[in-house]
Amino acid sequence: MSDFDPSRRRLLGLGLAGVGALSAGPLLSACASSAGTGGTPTTGGAITLQSNLTGAAKSGVEKLIADFNKLGKGTASLNTVATEIFRTQLPTYLSSANPPDLYTWYAGSVANAYSEKNLLLDVSEVWQGMGDYPQSLRTLATDATGKQVFVPMNNYWWGFFYRKSNFAKWGVQPPTNWAEFMTLCQTLKAKGIPPIGIGLGDTPWVASAWFDYLNIRINGAPFHRELLAGKQRFDDPKVKAVFTKWREALPYFDPKGKAYPFQEATTALLAGKTGMFLIGTFLADATAKDVVEDLDFFQFPIIDPAVPVAEEAPTDGFFASAKSANPAATKALLAYAASVEAQETYVANSSGIILPAHPKAKAADMPLVAKGKAMLAGAAELTQFFNRDSSDALQPTADTALTRFIDKPDQIDAILAEWQKNAEKVFKG
Amino acid sequence: MMGRLRTGGYHTAMILVSLLWLGPIIWVVVLSTRTFDDIATNGVGSLPHSFTLDTYVQAWTDGGQLQALINSLLVTVPAVLLSLGLAAMTAFALSRFRIPGRRTILLLMLAGNLLPPQIVLIPVSKFSELTGLYDTLWALIAVQVGFGLGFYTFVLHGFMRDLPNEIQEAATIDGAGVGQIFTRVILPLTRPALAALGALSFTWIFNDLLWAITVIRTEGNMPVTPALLGLQGQFVSSWSVIAAGTVIAAVPTVAVFLGFQRHFISGLAIGAVK
Repeated sequence: MSDFDPSRRRLLGLGLAGVGALSAGPLLSACASSAGTGGTPTTGGAITLQSNLTGAAKSGVEKLIADFNKLGKGTASLNTVATEIFRTQLPTYLSSANPPDLYTWYAGSVANAYSEKNLLLDVSEVWQGMGDYPQSLRTLATDATGKQVFVPMNNYWWGFFYRKSNFAKWGVQPPTNWAEFMTLCQTLKAKGIPPIGIGLGDTPWVASAWFDYLNIRINGAPFHRELLAGKQRFDDPKVKAVFTKWREALPYFDPKGKAYPFQEATTALLAGKTGMFLIGTFLADATAKDVVEDLDFFQFPIIDPAVPVAEEAPTDGFFASAKSANPAATKALLAYAASVEAQETYVANSSGIILPAHPKAKAADMPLVAKGKAMLAGAAELTQFFNRDSSDALQPTADTALTRFIDKPDQIDAILAEWQKNAEKVFKG
Repeated sequence: MMGRLRTGGYHTAMILVSLLWLGPIIWVVVLSTRTFDDIATNGVGSLPHSFTLDTYVQAWTDGGQLQALINSLLVTVPAVLLSLGLAAMTAFALSRFRIPGRRTILLLMLAGNLLPPQIVLIPVSKFSELTGLYDTLWALIAVQVGFGLGFYTFVLHGFMRDLPNEIQEAATIDGAGVGQIFTRVILPLTRPALAALGALSFTWIFNDLLWAITVIRTEGNMPVTPALLGLQGQFVSSWSVIAAGTVIAAVPTVAVFLGFQRHFISGLAIGAVK
């Protein structure tokens, strides 16, 4: 989800989404599975981990594999593929006759969708040794039939990021509720600074964070999940209330934000050209090293104190192919990955700001990380992100609706009606 | 006086046009020498505040560009030779002999080219699995040859058809067989067109991304285009490293174009006045 040669990639994505949709279908996976042989599981066999972690993020998973191989429970090899290729080819990998054993990917409805097609290995056995993990993560790792199919490695959080030095210079304080947030916006605007930064050019999905947060603050996480699962309607008055609230903040958005991607919006924030930016912790990856110390964030302001506080915490981890030729070694690797030791090594060697999934594993020793961890720990409910709580197919419908809303906020009704229509097409498949 | 003004105007206009074309390339080269912190602080579009060549080292080692370039060449060179060789033979047969249904064959080949390649991605992927070629460079060569063949045949057919018949008749009288006519008479005459197509197909195959990621899934077998894609992170990309990787990846195609430049332009010109 970044923005290298977007037009070409979008085309490619269209074509490849087609591959995914079709190849995951029953006909082709049936013909593929006839060629795949289960074989008797043996410990000590070779397994492959198909990974989308490239660049600086790669060393965490490399170290994990190296440490696992020293244990003598199997020989794992790492195969790294660019994220954009991985995203489009994952269905093909999973439905091929001789698939890789393990995959880096997302928990929740994304994993569940593959599990429904019987493509994922049942890892309930691994979860029996994961008693320390909180119920929220266990739920995310469980599919619709009640078996666990996913092992979480880490998550991260979203929030309004800002530079401490800039807030001090402007003499403003982070807000805690919506009214204070509005005052802050007015103050910044009066000083000639666009208060709210955003980057929607090539990365329109960034706008979904606003929708997610407003929805879980106004209507609560259960409604949000039902909406994203197709059990509620987008033209519901409750959804309209989200946009009515959003409209109050809209005049304070950086007008240039529609033109550039989130990475450049980060540069604008750091240069003091915008006041704050609702974004995930991966923004630190786009920040010069000496500036990271100056970064801080505040929680998305509370709107209705009666609604239990939920936070967005996208969870990453591993799932395995149902056709793995060596399920014993695959599960051994997953069990190792879930340990405190493995998670601490993984997080310490990965890039950016991430939190280990194991509640007893230590995260990086930074005030910012401690604050983020405390925020997630204090939340009554956790959601992930729009596409992770629904599907990659539903995300474009949100992108269309939200971009149109930011352009023409007076057409909410028409936009929501169209969103509902587009979403129905996705849910009917 | 008028003449000098005209020359001056011509040169000014041409320099401006060249700058328009070269601008993005120069921008990428400049970008490739900036540090990550410089870009993160000043933005991608600003003037450079730093100079480094570490980006090239990073692209070369982190991106695994050596292996990727070798893979690319292992695919591109055989694919170009094979597809042009087969296309030349087909075009020779279709244009110089009265083969029944030759028009239909040619139209069929052209029709195949009009289909968007995306619709055959799944069949290609599944077929390469069935034949056991999935995830090998052979699969990629086969796909590239298969998809190039129709267009190359069509172009070469048009070229060979216009070669005067008397040459072939003279060769026949001198006792040359079909094979000799092809290799000694027609092929040398087709050289400009072959050179032009060779340079074009080299670029196409070298720059292809779609087929590479459809039939290959192992890191070590990926050609240079997916390797470049691998330089971008999940959310954040180091543009200078990507720019450096792009510059490296462009070297082979630029070299081929410079090498074939003379043939390329004459090949195109022959096609134009036909």
